[in-house]
Amino acid sequence: MGASDDIGGIMLKSCRALLAALSLSLAVAAPAYAQEKTGAKPGFSLMPGTARIVLMRPSIRVGAQSTGGMYEPNADWTDQARENIAAALAKAQTGLGNSVVAYAEPLGADGAKVAEYRELFGAVASSVIEYQFFKGNRLPTKKRKDQFEWGLGPDVRALPGLDTADYALFITTEDHFGSTGRKVLQVFAAMARIPVAAGVHKGFAGLVDLRTGDLVWLNADMQMGGDVRDAEGADKRVRQLLEGFPGKPVEASVVSAPAIAASPAIASAH
Amino acid sequence: MSIKPLVAPVALVVVAAFAVPASAGNKLVPAGQRIAVAKSAMTVQPGTEWNKLSERPGRKAETWTQDGDELNDLTFYGGIESGKPLFREVDRKNQPLPKVSATMLITDIPVLLENSYRIALGAASVRIDTIEPIPFAGAKGVHFTYTFSKQNETLQRRGDARGAIIGGKLYLVTYEAPSLYYYDRSAAAARVVADSVQF
Repeated sequence: MGASDDIGGIMLKSCRALLAALSLSLAVAAPAYAQEKTGAKPGFSLMPGTARIVLMRPSIRVGAQSTGGMYEPNADWTDQARENIAAALAKAQTGLGNSVVAYAEPLGADGAKVAEYRELFGAVASSVIEYQFFKGNRLPTKKRKDQFEWGLGPDVRALPGLDTADYALFITTEDHFGSTGRKVLQVFAAMARIPVAAGVHKGFAGLVDLRTGDLVWLNADMQMGGDVRDAEGADKRVRQLLEGFPGKPVEASVVSAPAIAASPAIASAH
Repeated sequence: MSIKPLVAPVALVVVAAFAVPASAGNKLVPAGQRIAVAKSAMTVQPGTEWNKLSERPGRKAETWTQDGDELNDLTFYGGIESGKPLFREVDRKNQPLPKVSATMLITDIPVLLENSYRIALGAASVRIDTIEPIPFAGAKGVHFTYTFSKQNETLQRRGDARGAIIGGKLYLVTYEAPSLYYYDRSAAAARVVADSVQF
């Protein structure tokens, strides 16, 4: 009997703790959803038909996510995604308002340098998300009015073939598809309104001014829509990546950006 | 016993709920003022503005940055005691981090950092490039430089560190950034801070 009292007491405590956690998480969850997804250098604008943009080969990684959240790369999925995204970009790049040409990747040491710049772009975009777009975590030196000071440095222009272009467009996608265990954890966490992500679906698209190395426009989100393993999903991902691209003629179909980004399942059904 | 499965998720939920606000609140470090770092008696005087991250690598450590810790990272270790790792354990059970020892020689400091990074950064490469003796806040210290990359990355990062064993504890200041553009960009500002260490 004593034991059952204990159990009752613990259950009650657990419920109270759960309620407390619920209200707390509700209170703290709000700012996370207020996160920005796009940024541009103040004063930057691009008129259609005025610039030559080089599209760098996208950095694409696809794998699985274990219950504990560990990433396990998957070569087949990555190959599929590379093909699909390349096809989607080929379709999209003609509608961007300016001349967009695919970069002819150099071989050897220069090729390694290009790969390093691709990774540097990924690190910069991640930093923008963490320390500028996420207001609650913004760096005090990045808080000043209308500030967007990020870049890859002026030496990016020294990469072979970039000296005759105006801008370089960098694209990074990284997808970790949640395992069944991860999804179960997500369901339990969702009951308590804790945002445990099943899967990671990073997408960054950034335009770099080749005269200065400054990042002049960035579209970046850790939870993008579109399953890059199939053609339709890759089209959707590329649409989201290039949403609001500077100098792009306005599209009637892209209206409610945040809603699409937040609910990929609904958007892909259409 | 049957309660346990219920209590565990609740505990997880509570921890998760509290964990979110803890990550917020990075602070401005103004230029020209001497301040204590890493909850220790160590003080420094920056010549430019930095941001102090609310997230610490360990209990007696703190990180400053200008553009985010992935792009420039100035970390202070303020008296790591004998028997403690340089920073928080990543996998204590399977891959414990090497521990500081009061009897360490200054030349053991780069080795400690190298071995700690090998574990913390997974299969990453870490290479110590140069080691030289220097005075560190009046004590016999070491200055070393290193190169490393994180797991699943080819982005090269460079590091520059100065430290000493003072009173049996490890004091260390490290500056790290990607070799491309970012390292040089903040190296001078980081050096001003590292050169200003006093007790």
